[in-house]
Amino acid sequence: MKWKKMVASLLIGLMVISTVACGSTNAKSDSGSAKSTESSVKKGDTSGKKKLVVWTLAKDLNQFGDKYKEKHPDVDVQTVVIEPADYPTKVKTAILGGAKEPDIIVGEPQMLQDMYDAGLFEDLNKAPYNAQSYKDKIVNYVWDVGQDSKGIQRAISYQITPAGIYYRRDIAQKVFGTDDPTEISKLFADYKTILTTAQKLNDAGYKIFASDGEMNYFSGDSAWVKGGKLNVDQARYDYMDLCVNLYKGDYTSYAAQWSTPWYQGMAGPMPILKSDTNVWDTESLKKAEASGQTTEVFAYGLPSWGVLTMRDNVKTTSGKWGVCSGPSNGFGGGTYIGISSKSERKALAWDFLKFCTLDEDTSNWWIKASQGDTVSLKSVLQAHADDKNDVYGGEQMYKFWLEQANGIDYSKVTKYDKAIGDAWGTAISEIKTGQKSKNDAISEFYDTVSSTYPDIKVDRK
Amino acid sequence: MAVNQKIMPKKMKKKDNIAYLFVLPFVIVFLIFNVYPVLRTLYLSFMNYQGYGIPKFLGIENYTRVFKDKFFWRALLNTIKIWGVNIVVQLGLAYLLTIIFSDIKYKLRGLSIFRAMFYLPNLIAATSVSFLFKTLLDWKYGTINQMLMAAHLTNSPINWLGSPHSAPYVISIISAWMWFGNSFIILMAGVQGIPKDYFEAAAIDGAGKWKVFSKITLPLIRPITLYVFITSLIGGLQMFDLPFLMADGGTAGNPSGSLQTVVMYLYKFGFQTYQVGFASAIAYTLFGIILVVSILQFKILGSKED
Repeated sequence: MKWKKMVASLLIGLMVISTVACGSTNAKSDSGSAKSTESSVKKGDTSGKKKLVVWTLAKDLNQFGDKYKEKHPDVDVQTVVIEPADYPTKVKTAILGGAKEPDIIVGEPQMLQDMYDAGLFEDLNKAPYNAQSYKDKIVNYVWDVGQDSKGIQRAISYQITPAGIYYRRDIAQKVFGTDDPTEISKLFADYKTILTTAQKLNDAGYKIFASDGEMNYFSGDSAWVKGGKLNVDQARYDYMDLCVNLYKGDYTSYAAQWSTPWYQGMAGPMPILKSDTNVWDTESLKKAEASGQTTEVFAYGLPSWGVLTMRDNVKTTSGKWGVCSGPSNGFGGGTYIGISSKSERKALAWDFLKFCTLDEDTSNWWIKASQGDTVSLKSVLQAHADDKNDVYGGEQMYKFWLEQANGIDYSKVTKYDKAIGDAWGTAISEIKTGQKSKNDAISEFYDTVSSTYPDIKVDRK
Repeated sequence: MAVNQKIMPKKMKKKDNIAYLFVLPFVIVFLIFNVYPVLRTLYLSFMNYQGYGIPKFLGIENYTRVFKDKFFWRALLNTIKIWGVNIVVQLGLAYLLTIIFSDIKYKLRGLSIFRAMFYLPNLIAATSVSFLFKTLLDWKYGTINQMLMAAHLTNSPINWLGSPHSAPYVISIISAWMWFGNSFIILMAGVQGIPKDYFEAAAIDGAGKWKVFSKITLPLIRPITLYVFITSLIGGLQMFDLPFLMADGGTAGNPSGSLQTVVMYLYKFGFQTYQVGFASAIAYTLFGIILVVSILQFKILGSKED
């Protein structure tokens, strides 16, 4: 009986301890693990390295972490890459649960406002950071993206991401008689002109774009939500019409963005994919090729990081590309780095943040390491203004991107953009594929916005 | 004797107390990980809460919003549509196989091997299944379209997952493929529990296969059928992984929102727009619907048993 009691008590004790250990807050468990890791580092690693935990959604920070370790051998930077879709939830859950790690957190523009509002990021305006003293060093719009609604600096990015139109110079010469970026940008001046350009290219046997979503980064003249009201400006409707007309007019090669054929179009000829093209029947594919049913894509609309995408995919067309401005000054993505408000290693985190974003040596290194990413430090951009990029026929890319970045209006960005933009994309898709009439699709879009954000006033046009 | 009588209840009482101690760990875990989240969700369903800060009391506003929201009802209808087709195919297949494998005349061998084979799809993770079927059903490059076109059954590739008319049913069929083995095992267990005498007597009396199935097998496994139905309904109304992974645009459930299930809708508000209070109200509304439907199912199927 005594044995039974003892075993029972022991088991219960074990269970209760493990339950309490599991059920404790993230703060306790995480700080516990942090402490245990730190102590193990101290015990196992005689060099007594300082630890810095980075949670990121961009793999770039792996390289930044390694570079930082090179310069600071006494610091152990532990970088964890998390899928972008899960990132905000994971970071919120950890930090609002009181976790002392991660020390460095990041965000993309569309998710930042929510993360600022939740109090995840440290105030960088206050001492010892005094971030405002670095304001003039960074491209203006990037500085603005890093501020919360009260103007407090919360994050800084090492890169700028203005959008441009990447076009084939050889096709431009053949069809338009010039490959000059200023002249080609006139062919993309507005959506009506883009359709005319598409028609001309079609007549010459080319496709203006691989997909009909290439102008997405340039769409919209103003914010989706203004003064608590849904704001669908004329440019949004024009963009919708453009997508539908490009699809219905057979002006694109029907390749979904980021799909294999979409990348294929960067390297040269690709088959024209129509809904009735049987790509599996060798004979009919050969017939299609013989009858000219392959085409070449003229242009792609991508932010400055598209340089890296193109670099890996242009293959034999390298040197035949150029970049020009689009119908407006758009931008897309960008990784903004900040310090977790719950971090216990804020001084080290600030040093890492400065190293990634405000250090000229690091920016110069990153330009080389990334083979063409566009950094946010004005001085470095200016220093590289005359750099010529061979993929783009010797075009001065950094000079171009800096000009584009100067025209970006960040006030267009709101925390509602993702959900509302997705709903608008659904409406466009339904119209172009004939699933709904334009009126019905737009009406459904209004319903979706009203349902998703009841606080936003929706005036139906 | 009188002394013994007095001692016995004390011993019994001691034993009882030890039993409580044994279940205590489970109770603690259950309270923390089940009861608390359930009650917390109920509390939040009456609040305006973004996942941080202090929740603000809204009364039943979140619930009225759920009931007035046409997209919630569309999501519910989508869920029922996907589950409805799935359960017909799933149970139909499971019953067919049960009839074949339980027929004493066929005396099929290797039941355990078949059972394992039929159950295999259930062991594959939903992410792998969705990847597999997305590849097979790809509009331009999918194997299914390639086979159909090679057999001249269709002239142009079918956009299985791109059309709102086909996408929900594709999910239903995949779901049925994943779960029919599970239903088959449960139904077979039920059939094996029926005394063989009934089947032998029926065979002697000259009853046909259908008579045996409809008059003996089906009535005697009705409780099992009820169990399969209710568990499938609960699982079906909570459907998330397959449609979420196979739809375009994540929680939007495209094409045309036809793959947006109730839990995807809940996820959109809970984890994408951070309207945690409203998401909690959706969760409790779904709970209410499942409860009512389960009671109805139980009454309808259960009453026949009596």
